[in-house]
Amino acid sequence: MRTKEKQNKTRLFFLGVLVAIMLIVTACAPQPAPAPAEEPAGLAEEQPAAEAPVAEAPSEETEETEETPVEEVVEEPGFMVERFRAAIIGDESTLNPFTYVTGEPGWNVLMMQYDSLFTMNIVGEPVPWLVTDWSLSEDGLSYTLSLRDDVSWNDGTPFTAHDVKFTFDYLTLNAVGRFARDIRGFESAEVVDDYQVVINLVNPNPGYVRLAFADVPIIPQHIWEGVNDPQNHQFEDVTNVGTGPYMLMEYAPDQFYRFVANENYFAGMPTVGELVLIKFADDAGAQAAFRTNEVDMIFRVIPPEQIDLLSMVDGVSIAQGPLFGTQMLMMNYDVEPFNLVEVRQAVAYALDREDMIDTVYLGAATAGSNGWIHPDSPFYNSQIVQEYNPERAVELLESVGIVDSDGGGVREYEGAELSFELITPSGNALRLRLAELIKEMLAQVGIQVNVASVEQTTWEDMVWPEFDITFGRSYELSMWGWSAPVQADVFRAPELVHSDPLIGPLNLSGANSEDIDRIANEMASSQDPEYRTEKIKELQQAIADEMPFVILMYPDGNYAYWSSVYDNLAFIAGQGVVNKLSFLPESARP
Amino acid sequence: MSTLTSVQVEKTRHEDKPVRRRFNPSTFAGWMGGVIIVGLILVAIFAKQLSPYDPAERVGRPFQPPSAEHLLGTNDIGQDILSELIYGSRVSLTIGIVASLVTMGIGTTVGLLAGYFPKRLGKVLMRIVDLVLIVPFLPLLILLAAYLGRSLFNTVMIIGVLSWAGTARVIRSHVLTIVQQDYVLASRTIGAGDLHIITMHILPQVLLLAVGQFVQATSGAILLEASLSFLGLGDPLQKSWGTVLYWAQVRGVFLTPAWRWWVLPAGLLISLAALGFALLGFSLEQVINPRLRNSH
Repeated sequence: MRTKEKQNKTRLFFLGVLVAIMLIVTACAPQPAPAPAEEPAGLAEEQPAAEAPVAEAPSEETEETEETPVEEVVEEPGFMVERFRAAIIGDESTLNPFTYVTGEPGWNVLMMQYDSLFTMNIVGEPVPWLVTDWSLSEDGLSYTLSLRDDVSWNDGTPFTAHDVKFTFDYLTLNAVGRFARDIRGFESAEVVDDYQVVINLVNPNPGYVRLAFADVPIIPQHIWEGVNDPQNHQFEDVTNVGTGPYMLMEYAPDQFYRFVANENYFAGMPTVGELVLIKFADDAGAQAAFRTNEVDMIFRVIPPEQIDLLSMVDGVSIAQGPLFGTQMLMMNYDVEPFNLVEVRQAVAYALDREDMIDTVYLGAATAGSNGWIHPDSPFYNSQIVQEYNPERAVELLESVGIVDSDGGGVREYEGAELSFELITPSGNALRLRLAELIKEMLAQVGIQVNVASVEQTTWEDMVWPEFDITFGRSYELSMWGWSAPVQADVFRAPELVHSDPLIGPLNLSGANSEDIDRIANEMASSQDPEYRTEKIKELQQAIADEMPFVILMYPDGNYAYWSSVYDNLAFIAGQGVVNKLSFLPESARP
Repeated sequence: MSTLTSVQVEKTRHEDKPVRRRFNPSTFAGWMGGVIIVGLILVAIFAKQLSPYDPAERVGRPFQPPSAEHLLGTNDIGQDILSELIYGSRVSLTIGIVASLVTMGIGTTVGLLAGYFPKRLGKVLMRIVDLVLIVPFLPLLILLAAYLGRSLFNTVMIIGVLSWAGTARVIRSHVLTIVQQDYVLASRTIGAGDLHIITMHILPQVLLLAVGQFVQATSGAILLEASLSFLGLGDPLQKSWGTVLYWAQVRGVFLTPAWRWWVLPAGLLISLAALGFALLGFSLEQVINPRLRNSH
């Protein structure tokens, strides 16, 4: 008996210990956050004080240089800054045109080593770069390009028209992905002389300057002509031979890249002597390093909630500008009553875009235009108005007999309650929040919305099965967004709204408007830039009237950088600040 | 040796004064657990009266620090965090309790059948139990949650389906001993069917045991729900403690001072609930489980 008692006692004791352990374990387990979070939070408060004296001196210098006449800066030997360190997330491989990984910042960094025939200026318009003069034949098929004669590859070989022809021929054979898409429609290239080349197209393509000439890096014939498998080719030297302002000197996979300025760059001496890209595993790591100024910039857009926090740090500034991505609400024409234009208009009137931007993006977005095109685009039709007007929304709904006859707060259409499912991909937190606000705002005008957060693939399958609109669609309302390239070329707009699936392969709402189709066809029939500009403005009005989707906003690009270290970044509309112009003196920018 | 004597002394005292109970840490823990749970359940029931705002309504600027109006500040779209947590107790506790009910249901059924038919069916069932026990739990949980999609129902089912094996084992071993009891034998000899014996004689015996298992499982289920929601594998539109943490994570709060009023309270509540059920569970097990039962 005694031993049994003892056993029970010991057991009880162990249980006590167990409970204590449980207490500790349960108390610790769910909050892994505080420990790591404490550090950056504390640093954020302390760092500026420690950093301030160091930070002030260079910032004064930068201000002075800005005020002095530009020519002097160019003539002055030496760099504004010897070294600039930027954080990247993810490795970009050897960063040549066939190995770089991401569209942003991979392509952007690639283009610091290489040049394209045209380049984007600050407002996002293509301007001649390697080209001095150009003309397009009457039939719209042949571009005659005169090239600069003062450009050389950074191994000393002169750059000539042969390199241009070689690039287009080589990409036709070897390119996949972006550059293959860019040059689509290329037929042949003819070298007229060393500094003149003619590019022939299969069909007229007025967007070709923007799509191909301003996007494709020209590669040196003497380096690549012997390379048969460019994706896997191993060069003996990591140095990528380009014409650009920076040369890759050192690459440690998964660690860093070191670029050195090309002091003989044709457009002008780069402003930063050495550019170091440091690879981080995730955003949190990059932000922590940024806060302590271990890096001077993050080569990636920062989330809206970080804008205020980071800009409060002494010496840090935020470069803000337009990017052409969108957040939008899709309405399926196959689901009644979204086939009625009044209903679609009412939905647009009921949504308070400013409120959404202030709440979800904390102000860091531009309100959507009903005509699809970003207000900062030179093709924007400023006649288009969009307003938040719930009374008008109610009028429109009632004009087509959609009333709340049973007083339940939800309107009915042909006896059925106006209740819809709004799907949104579960991986996109901001979109989910927008969906919640849409639900709240549409409830105000008597439209019931149930937000469903679904897996990415489910969501795509419901909105755009097989990425082919001829398979139809099975959503009622959906959050959606097009990435910047869709809008960067404004003349692609018919793809979104044309009722013919061949002309409108991105028409995910099922829009079928005679007006839109007619204007789009007229636009496509002409090569005259003025006529096309007139038509694209007309098309925006037609889209705004038809309202096949609601453009909620264009999220702004926000980049955090230590302006106390270097304050000369150039924000290219639609492309952001990671570009070669950011590291060239202002006099050298087109 | 000293332990032995102290046991002896206590034993004598206990026998001398049977009316006055000695202090039992297990009972105390049980009471503590009970108080915590009752407290949280009251909060859940009276969430409407207790919370200062409707948690679904945007009542202020986003990302506000604590103030007199918003004791725990506001979240990323300006909803009151305190109200979110108060209402969150409903979802978190419900999921915890329902998921462990599922656990108990499956575990008890399997345990009963395996114990009552130990030969063929029992062997098959116990091998399944072994399988469920050895499969790495958390990765499978995350995989299933990602595969099945996000909803309250899925969260409940996933937790339930993956955590019943332990319960089944405990129940089975208890059933194995009950089946050997004379009254079961007697019942069988007078021609009672299996169903009758299971429902009338065995189930009532194991039910108490199952309740103990249920309380313990709830503690685990609450933690699991929070983990899944935090990872973004729960339904982000349901306000639970785990989703409050999820939104803190996706909106970068962990890197800012806001973790103190956004992350910490949610974490503490989850710990508190898990602790409450764990304490009660341990205490109940002391009373219920025959192998641990005090023989005083």
